Amino acid sequence: MAGVSESHRVLAANGEPIEFIHSGVRFRIHAIVSQWRKSGGWWNRIKEIEDVDLSNTSGSILDSLDDGSCSVWRVEAAPIGALATFEIELDEKTKSWQIRPTSRST
Amino acid sequence: MSFVHLRTASGYSFKYGTSHISSLVERAAEFNMPALALTDREKMAGVIRFAKECEKFGIAPILGVNLSLVQKKYRVTLLAQSGKLPDLYKFLTALNIESNLGVVTNKFIEKYERYSKNLFIMHGPESQLVDALSKRRESEAKGILNSYRDLFANQAIECVTHLVAGDGPFSTSLAGKSLAFARDQKIPAVITNAVRLLDKRDGPIADILDSTRNLTPLSANTVERKNSEAYLKNSAVMSYLADEISRLAGERSGRRLIATTLEWADATKLSPRRDIGLGNIHLPEPSVVGAKDHLDTSRLLRSRCEGNIFSKYHGSKSIVAANRLEEELSVITKLGFETYFLTVADIVDIVKKLGIRVAARGSGAGSLICYLLGISGVEPIDNGLIMERFCSPTRGELPDIDIDVESARRLEIYDEIFKRYGERCATVSMVETYRARHAIRDVGAAMGISPVEIDLIAKSLPNIRSSNIAKALENLPELKNLKINSKVLKMAVEISGYLDRLPRHLSMHPCAIAISDIDLRERVPIEINRSGYPMMQFDKDDVEDIGLLKLDVLGVRMQSAISYAISEIERVEGKKLDIDTIPLNDKNTFDLIKSTRTLGVFQIESPGQRELIGKFSPKSFTDLVIDISLFRPGPVKSDMISPFLGVRHGLSPIPKIHEDLDEILSETEGVVVFHEQVIKIISKLTGITLAVADEKRRELGDFEGQQRVCDWFFPAALANGYEISVVTKVWEVLRAFASFGFCKAHAAAFALPTYQSAWLKSHYTAHFLSGVLTHDPGMYPKRVILDDARQWGIKIFPIDVNKSKRNYQVELTSIVARAPYQAPNLNSTGEPLELPDARGYGIRVGFSDLSGIDEKEILSIVENQPYLDLVDFINRSGSSRPTVENLVKVGAFDLLHNLDKSNLNRRDLLLHVQDIYKLGAQVKLSGQQTFELIPPDLRPSGLPDLTLNEIVRNEVDLLGLDITGHLLEFYGDFLNSIGAIKSCDLIKQRSGSSVLVAGVKVALQTPPVRSGRRVMFLTIDDGYGCNDITFFEDTQKEHASLLRNSWIFLIRGELRRTGPRGISIRGTAAWELADSYNNWRNLTSENLKGGAK
Repeated sequence: MAGVSESHRVLAANGEPIEFIHSGVRFRIHAIVSQWRKSGGWWNRIKEIEDVDLSNTSGSILDSLDDGSCSVWRVEAAPIGALATFEIELDEKTKSWQIRPTSRST
Repeated sequence: MSFVHLRTASGYSFKYGTSHISSLVERAAEFNMPALALTDREKMAGVIRFAKECEKFGIAPILGVNLSLVQKKYRVTLLAQSGKLPDLYKFLTALNIESNLGVVTNKFIEKYERYSKNLFIMHGPESQLVDALSKRRESEAKGILNSYRDLFANQAIECVTHLVAGDGPFSTSLAGKSLAFARDQKIPAVITNAVRLLDKRDGPIADILDSTRNLTPLSANTVERKNSEAYLKNSAVMSYLADEISRLAGERSGRRLIATTLEWADATKLSPRRDIGLGNIHLPEPSVVGAKDHLDTSRLLRSRCEGNIFSKYHGSKSIVAANRLEEELSVITKLGFETYFLTVADIVDIVKKLGIRVAARGSGAGSLICYLLGISGVEPIDNGLIMERFCSPTRGELPDIDIDVESARRLEIYDEIFKRYGERCATVSMVETYRARHAIRDVGAAMGISPVEIDLIAKSLPNIRSSNIAKALENLPELKNLKINSKVLKMAVEISGYLDRLPRHLSMHPCAIAISDIDLRERVPIEINRSGYPMMQFDKDDVEDIGLLKLDVLGVRMQSAISYAISEIERVEGKKLDIDTIPLNDKNTFDLIKSTRTLGVFQIESPGQRELIGKFSPKSFTDLVIDISLFRPGPVKSDMISPFLGVRHGLSPIPKIHEDLDEILSETEGVVVFHEQVIKIISKLTGITLAVADEKRRELGDFEGQQRVCDWFFPAALANGYEISVVTKVWEVLRAFASFGFCKAHAAAFALPTYQSAWLKSHYTAHFLSGVLTHDPGMYPKRVILDDARQWGIKIFPIDVNKSKRNYQVELTSIVARAPYQAPNLNSTGEPLELPDARGYGIRVGFSDLSGIDEKEILSIVENQPYLDLVDFINRSGSSRPTVENLVKVGAFDLLHNLDKSNLNRRDLLLHVQDIYKLGAQVKLSGQQTFELIPPDLRPSGLPDLTLNEIVRNEVDLLGLDITGHLLEFYGDFLNSIGAIKSCDLIKQRSGSSVLVAGVKVALQTPPVRSGRRVMFLTIDDGYGCNDITFFEDTQKEHASLLRNSWIFLIRGELRRTGPRGISIRGTAAWELADSYNNWRNLTSENLKGGAK
């Protein structure tokens, strides 16, 4: 199932990005070079929890913690014929995407 | 194809794994996985629980262990091959015994190659081999691989990706590189997920555990995880990851990787019963108990029992006993438990040979065989005890015998058992799990919350589960005031809930020891505990599940106190007393019990028990058994006591259900009190055997079981010829009381030391109370026991440097002490009581209670007695200066320097001590003395002596005792003037009258009571006995804080007579005694002034 994220306009299928718009240019992903996941550091955001209404959570404190959980894809993508490498990051809490051009070797 | 996880850490990877074993196995079963491995870090303490869960869910257990390697820098996982689990246990045991740190070295593996050769090893992301690969040192990796090639049955590269960024451990990149290396080297590669979480969301729990383990607050450096991917993933996800890893290694898919993983799973699957040993029984070999073979154990058991039958039974009773013995022997022979009984008897013999008191507790006292073998001292036939409650052919489980021994000598018994049984025995471990206080402390420390705040919450919490902290904070009045409004604190409370029941520490069980045959170490992993004893990594339930002989050797201080009293009787009176042969119907003993003056007596000294015996007036050993059975939370809560006492005192008729039950219920006035009665009733009405009836009784314990028994009971009893009205009535009784009843054999086993201690208190009061003071077996502070001694006419002597020893000792004395307590004999108090008169005896306080003194000092002081004077003491006793000064302050030199006959006082002695030290008197280690200057003479300084108040204050501060006078003596005039009543005179007051009492706080308790309301029970002593006062909710608001925080009280209450010698006081007001006293003094002096005007 494909869906477009309005904020960054990433087209994803089965949770993986397949197309995106970056700097006004539409890119097609040709290959996923690597993929990783990050999370942790929730304790650095403990102060922020003072502003969260715990009564609105599912009842589990673990679900309301911001564990900084995100998935990252390093992809090869091209606008029209030109290949480039990007990192596309999905923040799993806010469901927002970020796109960063990157060198393949890093 | 279903995947199998070959590496899973549970909560038994202490402070690492976040999941309960049951949840992991249940999840694997949900995923239709045919097997699951448990590979906890360093220990295998969760194995038996894991095997049971696997059996429950029908999946095969695989067992392994994840071990530190080379200075804890690396880790590898070992797996037991099918049928080779003993080699893994023995490898781990050898590691635990030989290496303090539990770290594997290559040298160690070579030494224990005979075990490792039957094990599989997996080199995962934290291994030395994969570390070399990650650093592109392939030749080093090859070297490591080759060094292990001949040491293990098989080795595999363990590919793990937690989708971590980069190419380090747990990255897909390194997993791919590892797989490629395995392919190059032609060795197996498997995929695991190195599981430590059940769910992805459990990551923060892992962080808390990392932080707790490392004793540092949460930070990026503290926590191990980079993300939350180490959870128990399903087969599809693992297959996807296998594809990803394999593609990086140049393979089209992960099929081969998965296939090899499943092959390894097949090769390591174990059977919970055949391999792990669930349901098996392993007793010591016949030769250990002196038999040639199994048949010979039957002969031996029979001959030992028959040999004792005629010394314990005479006339027709011996025929009854012989018949009963035949019945019991046939059950034991059928079950094959002869060695069990012979082994326990052997251990009891060992204890007796050491001269240590021993008594069986629990249902074992119901067995005639236990009685004849000397395991139990309670005669079972006359006491109506049955064996089926203890050992039954229908259960087929090993019975459970616990023995009570002198607490002070318990480890001597361990030493002898280890000497006798060697590698056949080990102590049993105990898994400490997270509960509220530890959980909130650990979470708070990890989250960096102020230690003061966390400490306040932790200290305020009752001993509850950590999942109930939030509820307790909401509901308990004393916690409501903590005002936990901060969301961070609330979060800490909620996170603590997730640690609930998670294992946090493995320690030695306080009393359990397990014995098996010579192959014990093939069935359990063993380590050496802090006390230096071999300890199984399995707990007491695990040990029973795999059929080892578990024996609880319980250290009971009362047994030490009894033993000490007997030794004092021998020392002072020259009599050798055999307490185990005293008659069980001694009038004086029961008079003492009826008087409720039972402080120090086993089981019946608490305020609640004293109230019960006051109402009950026990007059036989059976009454004591009933008393102990009634004083349990169940009977108290379900109000079984009132109907019983009502019938006992003739206030209500004996409940009559059917004449067939009369004999069964006659001893308890028609009320069901004992399990044994429930068993006999079920058996009588339905015609089934006692053994089967006990199974039905056990089922009554829960609601579903009750329904099953009900469905069976009615048709069975009706078919046996009973009318429906009788069956219905009996069922109501069973339903109401069965689950609250108490095992009579257990109560009888308790009643014996109860009776023995009461007998000793009655006949050898000073000797017994010296034992109580020395071994401190009960709930009362020593000052209350000392005061109890005074009330029997015993003179209390202070510490004396020449006369005192380590412990409290009895002295014969001609000094006239106060008249002993006499129980008021009124019309309402029943028969007159004869109580002890211990005048002529004194108790000398020992050195051991002096503040700051150590064992070495005590030993040296006693060894070098007698002393000529203070200077001699300082030079030869080996005491430190603070000890010398403390001894002076408590009067230990009064006699030596004749303070009562001279014009010297304790202040002069203290100055003398200062002078001696000032002048440089030195004590050499050898005890030789050298003086640089001649020690000064001891002369009166002219300073006034310590006041009585100061003397008593010193005694309380330095000994915790008021020897010279009771603390209340200072208020004597005041208390007399306001008409306060002494505790010994309360029984003379009319029921319903308002009384004033005063005393020093002994105990304040808020136990659960039948109404569910919170009640505060205060016990105070006034030098004439103890008063027990109850404060209900209506008075708590005003007085609870005072009751908690003050020490000496004046209390107004309403007195009620509850039985022949039962008194209860309902508190209506409480004051600090000193405040009331000062007000009185001020008023008195004003009145005097007024009068003068």
